[in-house]
Parts: sequence; structure tokens; C-alpha cells
Amino acid sequence: MFNLIRKDIVLQKSTLLILLPALLVYLLLNTSSIWVGIVFSVVIIMNAFANDEKTSIHMLLNSLPYTRKEIVSSKYIGAFIFMSIVVCIIFIGNLLIHQEITAWKDILFMVSLVMVAISLFFPFSYKFKSQYMFIASVVFFAIYLVVVNFFIPNLNDIMREFVQVLLTVQTAQLYLFIALAVLTLYACSWLLSIRIYERKVF
Amino acid sequence: MENVIELQHVHKSFDGFQLKDFSMTVKKGFVTGFIGGNGVGKSTTIKLIMNLLQPDSGTVSLFGLNYKDHEKEIKQRIGFVFDENIFYENVTLVEMKRIIKPSYCNWDDNLFNYYVQTFELPLTKKIKTFSKGMMMKASLTIALSHHAELIIMDEPTSGLDPIFRRELLDILHDLMQDGEKTIFFSTHITTDLERIADYITFIHNGEHIFTKEFYRIEEDYAVVKGGMELLDADTEREFIAIRKSAHGFVALTDQKARIEAIFGDMVLMEKPTLEDIMFHTKKGAEQYV
Repeated sequence: MFNLIRKDIVLQKSTLLILLPALLVYLLLNTSSIWVGIVFSVVIIMNAFANDEKTSIHMLLNSLPYTRKEIVSSKYIGAFIFMSIVVCIIFIGNLLIHQEITAWKDILFMVSLVMVAISLFFPFSYKFKSQYMFIASVVFFAIYLVVVNFFIPNLNDIMREFVQVLLTVQTAQLYLFIALAVLTLYACSWLLSIRIYERKVF
Repeated sequence: MENVIELQHVHKSFDGFQLKDFSMTVKKGFVTGFIGGNGVGKSTTIKLIMNLLQPDSGTVSLFGLNYKDHEKEIKQRIGFVFDENIFYENVTLVEMKRIIKPSYCNWDDNLFNYYVQTFELPLTKKIKTFSKGMMMKASLTIALSHHAELIIMDEPTSGLDPIFRRELLDILHDLMQDGEKTIFFSTHITTDLERIADYITFIHNGEHIFTKEFYRIEEDYAVVKGGMELLDADTEREFIAIRKSAHGFVALTDQKARIEAIFGDMVLMEKPTLEDIMFHTKKGAEQYV
């Protein structure tokens, strides 16, 4: 299975070589490192996913001595590794460029959001295709606009406040709770993807 | 004799197509050709054998093992070639090898390099620039480089020029010399089979029509030609399919001896080609449905 993860990294080599310096540029320009981190992690992870999405590649991977469980699991573990690379670069980048240590709360927040996003994207993409995610996100955005306009006009403010509260809250217990919730979601998504993929017909 | 592949009472249905109570075996140490028209279930059967599809009911076993408990073990022992490009397009053959190599315990770099040289394959060109023939050679190189005991190929010779088709058949022939390897491949270029196949498995409309030794087909089957006056309701039943014209009829039988006994010298018997058998069986199935 670790061969599958290594394969994803090898295939992403050139993408990583372009994206990671770009990440440093963002850091130099003092952009919010949380959001930059989330965007970069998700882009890299979904790019690795899209590389394997063609029917012919599914046929190749399934004909090689791997089980479907391993193929799905490699994506979930790989996502974790790609995210760690991005976090490391942000951490080191901030340390070198701004001489500051990235707050562990920021990192936790970033990691949690990426994991939540991946937990939603992967099963969806296994069931349908990642290209439909654009369509789904447009539809989702429309729903969001309807909610903002008609039901909860200050949704954005509430979310912003909520994030602020999360980042300032001091109790370790709350963070532990969030971390556990995210891990549970990730694990459930993992199991769901395995189920979906085992039934997939190429 | 040991069976390498065994399908028993396999059912698999899709929209508008199904395999019905499909049973077949492939014997160890022989080349089995898998023939049938377009869309009759050849690729579906191969996918079932490769565990790319699971049967609705029935069992599929390879080397006497089932996929549920021994998936990786089975796949370690198979080399596969599909008729489409299943490699990543933006990598070179060397990179593709680096990706695939660690998944097999018995990968042999010397063997890989030997085939790369034999096939004159470029190692540093991107796979998307490969022609159909080069693609097939590349697939074959990968399939043969890990000492697989069973080689499964879906239409390996389609789209290849006649010279390489012969070379390919020679390579397969050499592979068979130690008696340990088994080859199962589908094709509709039936002349390829005459050069290499020991057994022929014929599938039509999702049904297994026969698996026979190649020489037995010539013994059993015959194309029969005769005058229309010989045909009536009773004699027509003796044939798999009949084509009638003003000058007489052409029919296919799988009971050559019986037809000889019935008609004697009144009819002309000819040795059928596999194409004759495929063609008439298809017509026959349409006539009697």
C-alpha cells in the first residue's frame, strides 16, 4: 500500500515543485497562513485524486496486486501526508520569513478544516467524479446564497465570530473534542469510500 | 489436468446484457484462445477473471484460490494486457516501471530490459506519444517482467501490424516451453489462434458455446454444401445454421460423422475455419430464437 502512496508523490512531483514555491510567495506576502494552507492542501490532495480517476487507471490499479481497500486507504493516508508537507512548509516558512512560530491552534484549525473537506470530497468523488464537484459546489453556493438572503442574513458574521471564538477559547478540552470529532468524521468517510469503491464497476 | 481458471455457474447482468450460467475452465500449461463477436461478453468475462467485476452469483477461482481470501496472492501470479492504454499518459516507460515494480515480489529488471531491447521501446518518451503497437509492446513488457504464471490478454493483437503480430505469437510460443505458464487471450483475429492456441473457448451472447482442443474442432465441425432438394424439416434440424440460396445451401454442423452417414456423397464437406464457426453460430442463434 505504501507503494501506492509513493506513486502519488512521484506523479505529483512536478506539481509540487510549482506549488510549494508559490506557497512561500504567499507567505512572504503575509497572507493568512491558515487559508493559504487549506487551499494548497486541498488542491494538492484533489490533484492526486484526479490523476487516478480515469477508468483505465482504475483497471490498472485493480489488476495489480492491491485490494480495493488498499487503493482507497492509500488516498486517505496520502492526503494526510500531503497536508503534513504543507503544514511543515508553512511552519518553517513563517519561522524563517517572519521569525515567528505558527500558533498550534492555527495549525489545528487548518488541519481540521482540510480533513473535513477531504472527508466530504472523497466519498463524493468515488461515487460520482471529482469533475462533478464543480457542479455540486455551484449548487451548494446557490443554496448558501438563498440561506444568507432569506433565512440567516448575518450567516457570514456568525461564522466569522465562531471561528474567532474557536481560536481564542482557552480550554484544552474543547480542542480535544474538536480533534476527536474531526478524526471520527475522517474515519467514517474512509469506511464509506471503501464501501463505495468496492461496489464500483469500471 | 490442473485448471488455472475456473468459472462456475457465473451470472452477471447489466442493462441489456447478461452472462447466463457461465461455466468454463482454462487448463494449466496451454494456450487458450477466447473467441466470440463484438459485445458477446468477452471483456466482461476477462474482467470477472481479473476481479474487476464481481459475479452476481457463481464462483470464480484462479489457481484453485478465490478472490475473497487470496486477492493479492492471485494477482501476484497474473500478467495482464488490455486492449486500451491503462498506463499514466504523462510519464515515461521508466517511470511507469518504477511505479509498478514495487508491487510485484518477483519483478525481474533483467527481463524488463530484455523485452525493452527486443521491442525497441523508448524508455524516456512519454507514454501518450506511443503508437498503438508500441503501447501493446509496453503492456506486454510489463506483463512479462514479473514471472507471471498466467498471462491474460484482452485483444492483444488488434491494431498490430502483421509483422509484429507474428513476432508476438513467437514470443508467446517461447514462453510456453517450460510448461508452467498458461496463456488466456481473447481475439477476433482467428488466424492468430491457428498458429498458437491449444484450446478454443467460444462464447456467444453471454453463453459458453464450447471449449475444445483445436484439432477436435476440425474433427467435429464441417461446412456442408448441397442441393436444396436435400433439405426438409427433419434434415434441417441436423445443422447449427443453414444459409439457403438458389443454387443450394451452405450449413454448419458439429456432428461431422452423423452428417456423413445421413447424406453420404450427396453433399460436399469442407473443413471449417473458426470464422465459419463464429459466423454460422451467430446466424443459427438468430434463426432459432
